[in-house]
Amino acid sequence: MKNKRSIGLSVVVPIFNEEESIPQLYASIQTACEKTAEIYEIIFVDDGSRDGSFRQLTRFYHEDPHVKVIRFRKNYGQTSAMAAGFRAARGDIVVSMDGDLQNDPTDIPRLLAKIDEGYDVVCGWRKDRKDKLISRKIPSRIANWIIGKITQVPIHDNGCSLKAYRKKIIKQVSLYSELHRFIPAMSSLAGARIAEIVVTHHARQFGTSKYGISRAWKVFLDLFLIKLLTGFAARPALWFGLGAFFAVLFGLGGLLGSMTVGIFNITLPTVALLFFSMAGHLMVMGIIGEIIVNAGNYRPAKMIVVQK
Amino acid sequence: MAVLTKESSIVPNSITLGRSKGVGVSLIVPVTERCEDLEEIFRVHRDILDRRGVTSECIFVVDQEFERDADTVRALAHHDDSVRVIQLSRAFGEATALGVGFEQAVGDIVVSMPSYFQTTPEGLDALLDALEGECDVAIARRWPRDDSWINRLQNAGFHYVVRRFTGVTFHDLGCGLKGMKKHVAREIPLYGDLHRFLPLFAYQRGFRVREVDVSQHQADQSTRLYKPGVYLRRLLDILTIVFLFKFTKKPLRFFGLIGSGLFAMGFGLSFFLALERLVGVSGLADRPILILGVLLMVLGVQTASIGLLGEIIIFTHARKMKDYAIEKFLK
Repeated sequence: MKNKRSIGLSVVVPIFNEEESIPQLYASIQTACEKTAEIYEIIFVDDGSRDGSFRQLTRFYHEDPHVKVIRFRKNYGQTSAMAAGFRAARGDIVVSMDGDLQNDPTDIPRLLAKIDEGYDVVCGWRKDRKDKLISRKIPSRIANWIIGKITQVPIHDNGCSLKAYRKKIIKQVSLYSELHRFIPAMSSLAGARIAEIVVTHHARQFGTSKYGISRAWKVFLDLFLIKLLTGFAARPALWFGLGAFFAVLFGLGGLLGSMTVGIFNITLPTVALLFFSMAGHLMVMGIIGEIIVNAGNYRPAKMIVVQK
Repeated sequence: MAVLTKESSIVPNSITLGRSKGVGVSLIVPVTERCEDLEEIFRVHRDILDRRGVTSECIFVVDQEFERDADTVRALAHHDDSVRVIQLSRAFGEATALGVGFEQAVGDIVVSMPSYFQTTPEGLDALLDALEGECDVAIARRWPRDDSWINRLQNAGFHYVVRRFTGVTFHDLGCGLKGMKKHVAREIPLYGDLHRFLPLFAYQRGFRVREVDVSQHQADQSTRLYKPGVYLRRLLDILTIVFLFKFTKKPLRFFGLIGSGLFAMGFGLSFFLALERLVGVSGLADRPILILGVLLMVLGVQTASIGLLGEIIIFTHARKMKDYAIEKFLK
């Protein structure tokens, strides 16, 4: 199986200090995959665990040819772990899920069924979420509402890791820093059709949660970033050009003002010159931005043809 | 760049000291700053390696201005096949010399060594002991120090700043005696003056770094004061490191913060002047400080837009870059 070109299903599971969960996790994923796909792979990404996680994973790797294991040298965070898993994935459909047993692999067949209906991304929605109300559920609900409003992708639960993607889409999405939460938004910009299904959510059995409310501010900054970038990255020359246009307007205003007070007063002409220089600067930035975007492999929405 | 790399980094897990075949230890001596009796340095360290029973090679990388010393080591190389001399075509500086040496090294363990006595020769022994254990990089720390308080104050100040900005504690980055496994030396980029931060880069890429106490050499105890330019360069180095450590993944946060601060100051100032104009205290044209206000706003916009451009670079190229280092891939 390992040398076959095409694989039906890849399941990507980031692991960080989940020693106790792994046997049960592996067993349930394996059962779900056997039922769903003829050819599949399970990619565990060990994000620098300091407990026996990697030993456990190595054991399953030797027992089961479907298992692949990526081990990070140190802890880089969930986004990096997912990015590494997605990069290695060779399935036509890629499913991501948490490694802490809170997601239920028995939902995988339903995700895939939804994909078969013609969607490109199917997100899990932990409608009946088994977490603390004050510290987890309420902030999450507010955050999801804001994310939905701003990105125009109204999904109830962006934070749920259990999602299924078509390979075409997930290989297009830029994943860095802590952007995994915005995969639906970013793939929607890439022209993907997105659906949502309710998934089971279990209370934590082992270990402790690795998240706290302190992330809220970062999520908010990232959201702003995404909004800005998805607009900007598509056509930097336009946006920088707009800025330059306003700078020119201000400059002209300054010149006009200087007419009224006479040519010997230096203040307003200087202000005008400053604005003109800013306009020139912004224009150059726009051109450079255009060059960068063209040199990269980012393609704005609509240019991506989703193959079925 | 330290954080984002385009190369895949799948490396062998454990490397044992090659006592039987191949070369066990490569000594790299960059001759770029000051240099003392190279023959003596070579002899005492070679003795130590021989006593440990490891095969070794020694590579001298000589900057152009040390032509005369190159002749000494060439004579050494003439008698001893395990000595190699690389002559650089101009003064490239220590980091480049080290980089060239690392590229050429064939030993399983690569040790960089200054071309003057900083530590007693036994330091090499301690370093190699550490590398045989559970670590990828071992760096020497001259401890206890016997030199003057001026040296120690400079040292402490430098490391305090490094610790504050990067959150990583090291005590003696200035010590040239550093040892690492071969794959580490290959993976870490070296340029400019950044060789002294090699342990930080290694740490950031997930390698295990250990400090080893070694005793200071007598010749190293003289008081050193440098030209102001040297201190300025160190400061700039630290800035580079801070940027590489914290903001290469999010340039917009860094530049955006500075830019919006500048813009806010400029906007506040101009707004205040505009208010004065509106209530009729004084006309805008009579307030030259308006120029400062506008200048700050313009600078703010420019700084933030540079951050945005940086972010666009990363965003549009993120799929080609990796911000993580893989130790093993079982597939």
